[in-house]
Amino acid sequence: MLLDSYPRLTWGGALVILALGIIASLTLASQVWAHKVNVFAWVEGETVFVEGYYPGGKKAQNSLVEIYNSTGAKLLEGRTNQKGEFSFKIPAREDLRIVLTAGMGHKNDFTITAGDLGGSEPSSDERLPKTREKVAAPSSTTVDMGQLEQTIDQALDRKLEPLIKLIRNTRKEGPGVTEIIGGIGYIFGLFGLVMYFRDRKKGSRDKTL
Amino acid sequence: MHISEGVLSPPVLVVGAALTAVGVAMGLKKMDNEKIPRVAVLTAAFFVASLIRVPVGPSAVHLVLNGLLGLVLGWAAFPAILVGLALQALLFQFGGLTTLGVNTFNMAMPAILCYYLFGRSITWKHPGVATALAFACGFFAILLSSILLAMCLIFTGESFMQAAKVLVLAHLPVMFLEGLIVAFCLAFLMKVKPEILGVTHAAG
Repeated sequence: MLLDSYPRLTWGGALVILALGIIASLTLASQVWAHKVNVFAWVEGETVFVEGYYPGGKKAQNSLVEIYNSTGAKLLEGRTNQKGEFSFKIPAREDLRIVLTAGMGHKNDFTITAGDLGGSEPSSDERLPKTREKVAAPSSTTVDMGQLEQTIDQALDRKLEPLIKLIRNTRKEGPGVTEIIGGIGYIFGLFGLVMYFRDRKKGSRDKTL
Repeated sequence: MHISEGVLSPPVLVVGAALTAVGVAMGLKKMDNEKIPRVAVLTAAFFVASLIRVPVGPSAVHLVLNGLLGLVLGWAAFPAILVGLALQALLFQFGGLTTLGVNTFNMAMPAILCYYLFGRSITWKHPGVATALAFACGFFAILLSSILLAMCLIFTGESFMQAAKVLVLAHLPVMFLEGLIVAFCLAFLMKVKPEILGVTHAAG
């Protein structure tokens, strides 16, 4: 330390503090990561909600959302709002592919199946007819089937809301520590292997190295 | 800085992959055994750096460290970045496997340029000049990467000037940050282990 006590030390020292400070504030202040965009979509009643966000939960604002049907035809498009959300009325009861383009080369998609869309039209979902029969059998009074279904749907939407919120939030988590440590392990393992094989090749050719 | 799957057209992907293949071949040829541990450490640094996020407007950018990789590794930055990106794609779903070639090129090419532009001059006697050059190296690498990224996006319909403006502006904080990091790393390496930068040959 004594040997190096000319300007270079202060330069280095200042930069250490600065760089570490920036990194620490970035990682601590916002526990969020980068760098892909995620899409999640869910159905409430007749409306499909789409949400775009980056790992860690930052919203993907003003991103292009395009809805395609199962044959690949574009049904509609729009842009996410300040909260990274976009919603639309169900345009057709079939599998919908939701593509979100966030610019800067970020893109992802999410598929809502016809079963998720539910609704009044006969669905391929097996659970639906069953519940329908159960409800229909004991009701001797005149109950409008459509109305009943609508009531159930509304109640379910309400009950499922916290669950959907939970799923949305769990999906927002960035890469875990396991993945990060694992990745570093892969890197060292891989280069270790490269070194091992190179060393053997070299060793068999000349023993001096 | 990572382009997702399905954004680029096949010709861009193929050209990117071909250029990366050439770069990786060069890198492997120039990577002798003594260099491998160094490459491994910097690959790990690159792999983790992308997790440090810098919030910018509606989007997010992150550290890349390609300037540092180029400076220390030279052509070996190509295989290092390829491995780092492949693992990021597999473990974090950053970027994608089909865009691996393009993404590697976008980040490794500026690294190589930095190596040729700054590789010799950073061992400048005057510590202030050396620090300034190291800062420029980190800054320039990101600038060039964002311009390359913008060029890739022209083919998707985004106009170049607009994409370039957005990308360069978005990466401005990263440029400064990386400049500082490269300057700091250089000062540190010069003091602790100057032979990593090949200084011993220049001095002796």
